[in-house]
Amino acid sequence: MSSSLHNIMLIARREYTERIRTKGFIIATILIPTLMGGGIFGMAAIASHNTTQSHIAIVATEPQPAADLKQELENGKDTRMTVDILAPTPQAMSTLDQQIADKKLDGYLVIHPASGSQPATYDLTPRSSADISTTSAIKDGLHSVLSREFLAQHGLSAAEIDDFTKPATVNIVGKGGRKSDSTTSFVVAYILFFLMYMVVLLYGMNVARSIIEEKTSRVFEVLLATIKPHELLAGKILGVGAVGLTQVGIWMAAAGLFAARAGSMSSVTISPTQAIFFIIYFALGYTLYSSVAASLGAMTNSEQELQQLNMFLMMPLFFCMLMIPVLIGNPNSTLSRIVSQIPFCAPLLMNFRISLSMPQPWEIALSMALIVVTILAVLWVSSRIYRVGILMYGKKPNLPEILRWLKYS
Amino acid sequence: MPIVELHNIRKVYDTKVAVEGLSLSIEPGTMFGLLGPNGSGKTSSIRMMIGMTMPDSGSVSLFGQTFSRSALHRVGYLPEERGLYKKMKVLDQLIFLGRLHGLSEEIARTRALAWCERIEITEAIGKKTEELSKGMQQKIQFIAALLHDPELIIMDEPMSGLDPVNAALLQQTLIDLRKEGKAILFSTHRMDQVEKMCDEIALISRGKLLLSGSMREIKSHYPRNRLHVAFTGDDGFTRHPGVAEARIHAGVADLTLHDASSSQQVLADALSRGTAITRFEVVEPTLEEIFIERVRASFGDAEAGGITHE
Repeated sequence: MSSSLHNIMLIARREYTERIRTKGFIIATILIPTLMGGGIFGMAAIASHNTTQSHIAIVATEPQPAADLKQELENGKDTRMTVDILAPTPQAMSTLDQQIADKKLDGYLVIHPASGSQPATYDLTPRSSADISTTSAIKDGLHSVLSREFLAQHGLSAAEIDDFTKPATVNIVGKGGRKSDSTTSFVVAYILFFLMYMVVLLYGMNVARSIIEEKTSRVFEVLLATIKPHELLAGKILGVGAVGLTQVGIWMAAAGLFAARAGSMSSVTISPTQAIFFIIYFALGYTLYSSVAASLGAMTNSEQELQQLNMFLMMPLFFCMLMIPVLIGNPNSTLSRIVSQIPFCAPLLMNFRISLSMPQPWEIALSMALIVVTILAVLWVSSRIYRVGILMYGKKPNLPEILRWLKYS
Repeated sequence: MPIVELHNIRKVYDTKVAVEGLSLSIEPGTMFGLLGPNGSGKTSSIRMMIGMTMPDSGSVSLFGQTFSRSALHRVGYLPEERGLYKKMKVLDQLIFLGRLHGLSEEIARTRALAWCERIEITEAIGKKTEELSKGMQQKIQFIAALLHDPELIIMDEPMSGLDPVNAALLQQTLIDLRKEGKAILFSTHRMDQVEKMCDEIALISRGKLLLSGSMREIKSHYPRNRLHVAFTGDDGFTRHPGVAEARIHAGVADLTLHDASSSQQVLADALSRGTAITRFEVVEPTLEEIFIERVRASFGDAEAGGITHE
């Protein structure tokens, strides 16, 4: 037993030191957070500058509501448009069409006033029908202007109208009457979810790749002449997993430092509970997925073949992603509780639920127990597939053959 | 006490019988050659000796005891194809493999450096494996198999891919190891190496043992009925009734006789025809000839074509 542990540690140590020295590891460690950070900042920047600055014309016979609409569109909450008001002469119309053709104008709105029983109609001619932000800004502006006009006609003062149209504020109050910021816990839950998703997938595939590499370089034959297949498997999973933990650790430490420097720790905080459960579920999830990946690696002879099989890893992870809206909708619904017990989903989904709203302790205990049982079952199968599969070269095994391998030992 | 003893082992892969009823034993201090054409079951047999696969029936004993993995620390194995981590530095790799065989880091390092010096590959120590030539990788693999000072050395095609200088160097190293009392088994399909180096051999074909025993013993079973004649002039003597088979090329005749005793009659016939003889030699059959004959006898020509002498 002790010599077995010695071998496992030797394999794990080699895997760890060789991997951590590679350029790939260093590049991924630096590049992935840079890209993700850049992506988040970029999205934020785009979202904050999402005010329309189009140039449009309003064609109207009467000054109202055209003047109010112009005011709304030029100085409204999200719009900084330039608006011209014209009278509907045939000459003006042809000029407008010409301006649109010359790309000097983004569109024009023709107001046909109400006559008799016919209500007023509004015809918008945009330069591009895909310019949704301009179209919706005009729609919203019109709605607001018309509402105010209607209220004013019914005798409300401007101040009363402002009061009336102001949106209501809803405070989110957590347990114990504490005000909590629900967006923050969402953000943290999301970040942890995708971090785990990415690292589990990435390092699970690394285990498979590492096995294929040893298979193609035939190192296996040398190793198996001294140590047992399950020692090799365990050492590999441990070593590659330690590399993954190191990478996540570096990212977290860097994020912590960055946040502390920027003083923005208050807006996104990871509670100790979240951190502890993240580490536990990460370790469980990684072990589970890398055991599956190990058997995929043992069954195949090249990375190309692995690509065809890696849907077995992707599918449960993708299913977890689909289930996120269900969990957000109601983290304690029956469906949420069931899917977060499925061993292949539990690491991601139960952890996500813990971030949203703490499940019952027995649910957490049950999910962990189920994962552990599944890991043992998968390892049992993997080490058998591994044992036979790694010495099979060239020929791709079919399902009956794989089943037959399970009987050997 | 035999170091390795295979008793009636059989291994079937799906529908293909890889090894059928193979028995052999190797004594300490023996250089044992496992011979056979490509795909004859050499590698399958070797894998069963080191427990990489289990025989379907029959038994494997190492060092006088039924096979157990704990005995593997006393075995050095060189696989048929190079099995080294491509991106790892040579010294790190040797230390890692040495430690897997139970050596401490310091001892593994000292021995690795000593071996690199002994087989003249010191310049490779700091390099990555992928930067080395095929022959150099083979030498590193060779060291990896010997680092833990095994009592039994098993080498699957050890000389393949080596130039003659390095092949001779490794052959000499193996001969030295045998003198130290190690048992060495190597597989090959090159008969010239076997004739030079081996004390004992086993010939297998299609998973079956065709022939085994000491080199001397095997050859003594075959009559010295081959003539090697260098001549100029009339080649009529090659058609003497005592000659079973004749091959003539560029003034040299290789003759096989029906009966070893008729060699003098053939010589007399040649002299009576006035043929000038510059060399006349009665030769024992080469291992290659014996093997081709045996393989042909059991399976036909196609199978025998799998062995070569280069």
